[in-house]
Amino acid sequence: MSQETNGALSRYQVIDLTAEIGGLSSMVLAGLGADVIRVEPPGGHPTRKRGPMLREDNDSSLYWAQINAGKRSITLDLDDDTDRERLGALCESADILFESDAPGAMASRGLGYGDLRERAPQLIYVSITPFGQTGPKSTWAASDLIGHVSGGLSSLVGDPDRAPLRPSVEQAYNITALNAGSAAMIALHARHLTGQGQHVDVSMQAAMANTLGNARLYWEKDGIITERAGGARAFANRATRIIYPCADGYVAFVRVPASMIRLYKWMTAEGADPQFDAERWASIAIAGDNLPSDDEIAELESEIEQFFAARGAQALYESGQHFNVMICPVNTMQDIVDSPQLNARSFFEDVDDPMLGPLKVPGAPLKMSATPWQTRPAPMPGQHNEEILIGLEGT
Amino acid sequence: MSSSESPGARIFDGIRIADFAWVGVGPNATMQMAFHGAEVIRVESSHRPDTFRSGGPRPAGDGSLDASAYFAKFNRGKRSVAINLAHPRGGEVAKRLIATADIVTESFAPGFMERIGLSYEEVRKIKPDVIMCSMSMEGQTGPHAKFRGFGLTLQATAGVTGVTGWPDRPPVGTGVAYTDWVATHVGIIGILSALDHRRRTGEGQYIDLSQFEASTLVLDAGVIDAANTGRVAGPLGNRDFRYAPHGVYPCADDHTGGDRWVAIAVTNDDQWRCLALIMDRQDWLESDDLCDAAGRLAAQDALDEGITSWTSQQTVDEVEQMLQAVGVPAHRASNVRDAHEDPQLAHRNHWWTSDHPVIGEMSYESPPWRLSDTPPPMPRRSPLLGEDSEYVYRELCGYSQEEFQQLIVDGVVE
Repeated sequence: MSQETNGALSRYQVIDLTAEIGGLSSMVLAGLGADVIRVEPPGGHPTRKRGPMLREDNDSSLYWAQINAGKRSITLDLDDDTDRERLGALCESADILFESDAPGAMASRGLGYGDLRERAPQLIYVSITPFGQTGPKSTWAASDLIGHVSGGLSSLVGDPDRAPLRPSVEQAYNITALNAGSAAMIALHARHLTGQGQHVDVSMQAAMANTLGNARLYWEKDGIITERAGGARAFANRATRIIYPCADGYVAFVRVPASMIRLYKWMTAEGADPQFDAERWASIAIAGDNLPSDDEIAELESEIEQFFAARGAQALYESGQHFNVMICPVNTMQDIVDSPQLNARSFFEDVDDPMLGPLKVPGAPLKMSATPWQTRPAPMPGQHNEEILIGLEGT
Repeated sequence: MSSSESPGARIFDGIRIADFAWVGVGPNATMQMAFHGAEVIRVESSHRPDTFRSGGPRPAGDGSLDASAYFAKFNRGKRSVAINLAHPRGGEVAKRLIATADIVTESFAPGFMERIGLSYEEVRKIKPDVIMCSMSMEGQTGPHAKFRGFGLTLQATAGVTGVTGWPDRPPVGTGVAYTDWVATHVGIIGILSALDHRRRTGEGQYIDLSQFEASTLVLDAGVIDAANTGRVAGPLGNRDFRYAPHGVYPCADDHTGGDRWVAIAVTNDDQWRCLALIMDRQDWLESDDLCDAAGRLAAQDALDEGITSWTSQQTVDEVEQMLQAVGVPAHRASNVRDAHEDPQLAHRNHWWTSDHPVIGEMSYESPPWRLSDTPPPMPRRSPLLGEDSEYVYRELCGYSQEEFQQLIVDGVVE
């Protein structure tokens, strides 16, 4: 028994046993139509207590609403034999399972891949952990922050005179979860070939190590350790500024050659009387040999800074892009909610959340013409116990 | 590419991708399918080369379009055909290729594919069950559809930059084309879902992926919070709204030189007690105020100061070992060299070596997942620009040798 949708993955059932690191994997599959069953302990999943909260209570998690959108919920006590058996039975007909326990923890409850393989040979069992299932750090304690530093990304983020940084929301978890979603889809196609499920071992450290751009390549090839460069592109031994203040916030602009003549025209059209040699800057790459002196670059940046400082971020975005200059606003979360682009594309949708009532939620992260994304609310704890258990007995 | 005996090499056997996408997001997505047997053909032109072909690192003094290791990183396992799409006959060649393809990917500014006669409407006339995925900055529709950008700037639009920095300073963003590694997975999941749908129904479709929209998925509850409460998450440095202490702390110099930092994240009360024990801070252990997260969050400044003076006396190895031994999340802030030499990544054989006639031997990233039963074989090296032109024009597009030669003379194959 599954929820029939016209989504691309509507024939598939997914079991979500994750704690904090992998909830987004199955949220995306749910948006594509999969029947995702979120398994929670009796009383509800611990991340239901995770903020931000909608109300002044501890029971209205917007985090839960975001990460568990479109899933069904069953409460099972995995320390109880009957409930463990129920989960085993669910696995027999499921297609994909996501879990994020420490390596070996699921096996200690008889729910490891080795335990389920014979019983559920079709099951794609995706384990998402900080470092992977085996190896010298596989038992290390970790968190989202550890993902950012262990993969190396933090060394490229932050002001040079202070500590390496992570982005301030738990993005390593979410990047890892999206990787796990890709892996599950590849394994699903492998099953068409082999007829079998398999074990997929996803590492947060490895996922974050893949975000280093070409910086690690520069170490291997040229022995250069790229360091964090503040609001600039961290690049080999030469950083290029990205962030500029403007009248009401910040904008992102990189002096790539393709933008320089356009920038000159734009500034001129706005009456700014630019002094820099546009033709020359249009011929100067931002990296490589024969770069301009630091003084020359500072002079150019100061001129651009003055122009930006007199104007607002969204106005700069609209007018700069009109001149084909690659400039972007440093959007706040509120700017994203107010974005004319997102709203023209109906990105936000209204759902009736069973716990929170009417909610405005981010919708489709991609638009598929034949099998559209479905935006549905997150479930209450055990909301679908009965229908899921009846479905089990019926099989 | 010939099929090999291992099932991991054959998952996408018989699937051909005409890959018009360039730079990061699209090429990274199709590379994952190339690893498992899809025939991915990069449609390229020396008149408008992929930005990464001009990137680095590269062998000293070699400015050629085949010398970039950055391009190689995203294009292993693929073929390359040279088609000058700006040439009047370029579109015709592209159409012949598309007629043989299952999937078409592109990441041009919206409108470009239409101008060269390759909109989805046109493409499906040639190949009715085609899956076409466009991966532009902000999607195909809307007032900002044609706005330009790349990963370094798009992360600002997508909200990542604004939450990355110190609260008392301007935001900094990530310094890398961060959203490239987010949107690419939404692309993979979407394309493979569409392929599964086609396998069952015979129906193709069009996917309009907005890198902006896809990238907001990593913002956790940031967007839904602002949309419903008006609260706006800002940069917290390395702090966390749930946990304390939570930071990246300076260590004593070690033999590797450079500045060394260690991240410590106390995510529960047991870890807090273990940290205080290791630091020999009896006063912290005995403090009632510090025994829960709320108390520690209120005392963060003092905690960070105390930890900093402790870590400054230790090497990063020592802090890692002492804290991990008692289960406290701690790890050096790895730099690119540390990542390259990391024993755990080495255990997973994460960096895959590839030899290349121009670049030489280099290692590149592998997927962060390991498939127990269908691991991919080592991929073929990334292609030289136009390396497979003869194969594509002659065998796939069906041009005779004479026609192919004429297209070369006419400047189409470049």
